Amino acid sequence: MLLKILSKSDLPDAVERLGQRYRIIAPMLHEGQTVFKELLPGDAPDMEYRTTPLPPKKALLPPREELIQLQSTNGESRLEPVLDVQPAVLLGVHTCDLHAIGLLDKVFTEGVPDQHYINRRRLTKIISLECLEPCSEHSFCKSMGTLAVPESFDLHLTDLGSDYAVEIGSKAGLNLLWKFFTIRDAGDDDYARLNKAMSEKWSRFNYRLDIDATELPGLMSLNYADELWEELGQQCLSCGACNLVCPTCFCFDVQDEIDVDLRSGVRTRVWDSCQLARFALVAGGHNFRIRRGDRLRHRFMRKGKYIQEMYDRPGCVGCGRCAQACPVDIKPLDVFNRLAAGHVNQSEMKKEAIV
Amino acid sequence: MTHPRAKIAFFDFAGCEGCQLTVLDTLQTHPELLQAVEILEFRESMSEREDGYEIAFIEGSCVWPMDEERLRKIRAQAKIVVALGACAHIAGVNSIRRSMSPEKAAEIVYGREVQNYVTKSARPIDAIIPVDAVLPGCPIDRHEFLRAVSMLLQGTLPQIPSDPVCVECRLDENRCLLLRGQACMGPITRGGCGAICPAFGVGCEGCRGMLADMNFEGLREQFLANGLSLADFERRISMFLSEQTPTLQVRA
Amino acid sequence: MSAVPSLGLTNSSVYMPQLLEIVDVRVMSAQEKLFTIELPFSTSLMHKPGQFLEVSIFGLGEAPISISSSPSRSVHAFELCVRCAGMLTRAVHQCEPGDRIGIRGPFGRGFPIERFKGKDILFAPGGLGLAPLRSLIWEVLDDRNNFGQVTILYGARNPSELLFRDELDEWAVRDDVELYVTVDNPDADWSGNVGVITTLFSNLRVSPRNTVAVTCGPPVMYRFVLMELLGKGIPEGNIWLSLERRMKCGVGKCGHCQIDHIYTCQEGPAFSYAEIRHLEEALR
Repeated sequence: MLLKILSKSDLPDAVERLGQRYRIIAPMLHEGQTVFKELLPGDAPDMEYRTTPLPPKKALLPPREELIQLQSTNGESRLEPVLDVQPAVLLGVHTCDLHAIGLLDKVFTEGVPDQHYINRRRLTKIISLECLEPCSEHSFCKSMGTLAVPESFDLHLTDLGSDYAVEIGSKAGLNLLWKFFTIRDAGDDDYARLNKAMSEKWSRFNYRLDIDATELPGLMSLNYADELWEELGQQCLSCGACNLVCPTCFCFDVQDEIDVDLRSGVRTRVWDSCQLARFALVAGGHNFRIRRGDRLRHRFMRKGKYIQEMYDRPGCVGCGRCAQACPVDIKPLDVFNRLAAGHVNQSEMKKEAIV
Repeated sequence: MTHPRAKIAFFDFAGCEGCQLTVLDTLQTHPELLQAVEILEFRESMSEREDGYEIAFIEGSCVWPMDEERLRKIRAQAKIVVALGACAHIAGVNSIRRSMSPEKAAEIVYGREVQNYVTKSARPIDAIIPVDAVLPGCPIDRHEFLRAVSMLLQGTLPQIPSDPVCVECRLDENRCLLLRGQACMGPITRGGCGAICPAFGVGCEGCRGMLADMNFEGLREQFLANGLSLADFERRISMFLSEQTPTLQVRA
Repeated sequence: MSAVPSLGLTNSSVYMPQLLEIVDVRVMSAQEKLFTIELPFSTSLMHKPGQFLEVSIFGLGEAPISISSSPSRSVHAFELCVRCAGMLTRAVHQCEPGDRIGIRGPFGRGFPIERFKGKDILFAPGGLGLAPLRSLIWEVLDDRNNFGQVTILYGARNPSELLFRDELDEWAVRDDVELYVTVDNPDADWSGNVGVITTLFSNLRVSPRNTVAVTCGPPVMYRFVLMELLGKGIPEGNIWLSLERRMKCGVGKCGHCQIDHIYTCQEGPAFSYAEIRHLEEALR
């Protein structure tokens, strides 16, 4: 491992230098909460942040994103795709969100490539941040295998108190490091500090799944027809919050808008939610998922099973944002654990019956 | 390509004229509107009036018997009738009096003068005439108005979102008021307003009307779970939503 | 960045429609019109029967529409039968020859016609379901010697809703096609069969092992038609359907067309019954 040491006091300078070449999207304190935002000159990132309402996904797949523009000149209408060309640095990404970005990379490059995502992704360097303690009471990243950093970062920082240990994940990361950061090589003492931080962190993450995450797809299959979905459907307000704050949700709606002069307009992609009543509605008026319980089941099936099976990546990274955002306290870990408990009870009953 | 300017007119019934003011303001912020439409009647802003309008924007709710006749006349003339704002759409704040008898409401408002006034229940305009499209809200949303005009110019009836206010709140990273134990009708109310009230820390009042598919009982339960009372919930309902809420449903 | 394949930056977009010219509009019924759309440079659409296109009018949005013309008859131009069902399709109905319309595609998986060769083919469309099946019907009829018996059972709510009436007449007089048409609500001029589509099955003889059945229609129809087809002993793998969903993007991303774990725009909209019978959300 190539390990470098960045003094925390040198980070603001590095950020400022980066800012002259790149848009920087980083966690920032804003009206009482930390959100991912574009840094303006003089802004300081909040590197100690807990969690954010929306995941850093929004830097790569914006909540509202223009796909196509209509422009008319001299009576001639032309459509043009809108593709991002601005290089950016996405700073301070927690490991759960980095795993989620790994999923999005697969979704938007596999099969039919989505150039809007791919362009922006290729222009974005990621500087991630090791999680040393849970960022929220709802996070269960350790259970989902997302507390360890995947290999999709350019640079990865671990807080060592007065310094950051910097791991280099790519050539682009190495270039960033040489050009913009003041660093030194790691000595034995630094390795010792890093090892200590890394070995001590795991025991702090105690909110967890009662089964192994690899059993989740099977558990979901078994419980497709469980009465829990209907029960939760009674509580669910179909507000869409869970999907909209989710780092692994990627469904979208497309909306058109034309100016009143009818000469210019945009076709915009907007994050969507399968919990909203109209999600599976077709033009003739038939709704293929009209019950809230069915919509809720669909979401949990995606999180626990479908995505894992389609993309070989966890459909839930355990970030806890949906649990935090749900106005009626529907929490994924409760759902998974309750299903697991029901399953355990059933198999125990079977065992007893056999005995 | 140049389109013929659409001939439009604005009419007002019982309401505060705030929606018309929003239109007036939009004409100033978006002067290109005046290239796109020809306004034949708009009492709020001009004294001339001309017949021959094709699209009628109607503000306000129907209160007096004479309103009905006037509404029918507008309907007979206009090819397209658009309800402009909450009063025309769902009887707006005027519907507050639905929670009591008209006599009781009159007494509260006019006191000893009550015998000099006739008070009727406020009704949305679609209780009298067919309405082709609705621009909800108290007041209407400026951008939705612009979008509606654009759609009308494209030969299509304006469409409004059928997602709850929560969607825009989340996309904008507003702090959820329900999660902070406050009253908010966001989950059952039609969005499209940019979640402007919650964005400024004020719980949604439901001015854009209730969604057809929503969890009324679930939200009521959540009010109670948050330590709010049934009366708090009823108060929120009575502001804009009583037209759409059978009283029994509130109590359940 | 190992996860992202080394695709260079690009200035194209998979969501970018091509603006193509409508060259003919035919009224099919009170609700449906048939649009003939010209392909540029005398190209061919290269589609499979059962595939769909994303049709758009900028400003009013985009919707999936199945292709009505057969590949055998889609050189230089293709046909879309569009029901006026929403904001976009209402505007499409206002289009006239000479207007240009946004097109993306073709998308999805069509019917595996190669696997149908040598078999008897039983078509059972209901209502607008004839629009996508017409593509397959003509593909079969234009390669008639490679198929066994061809039977078409077509049901509509009333006579005025029967689509492609010229072609129904043409099929009715052909020796190598058996056509049976029924309507739920006859009018005074109607002298044909009366009743829902399933009433056409009672006297039908099929050799089940050698028959491929293809059906398309409103969701409520499937359960009853499937019962008839399965009742005739046709294997589940030989019964094909085209499922309607809101295929918004057409490229397996947007999520709207998902049936349980399956993206209809990728794995469908043509499915064999064997493929979907275990999916709770498929036929509802």
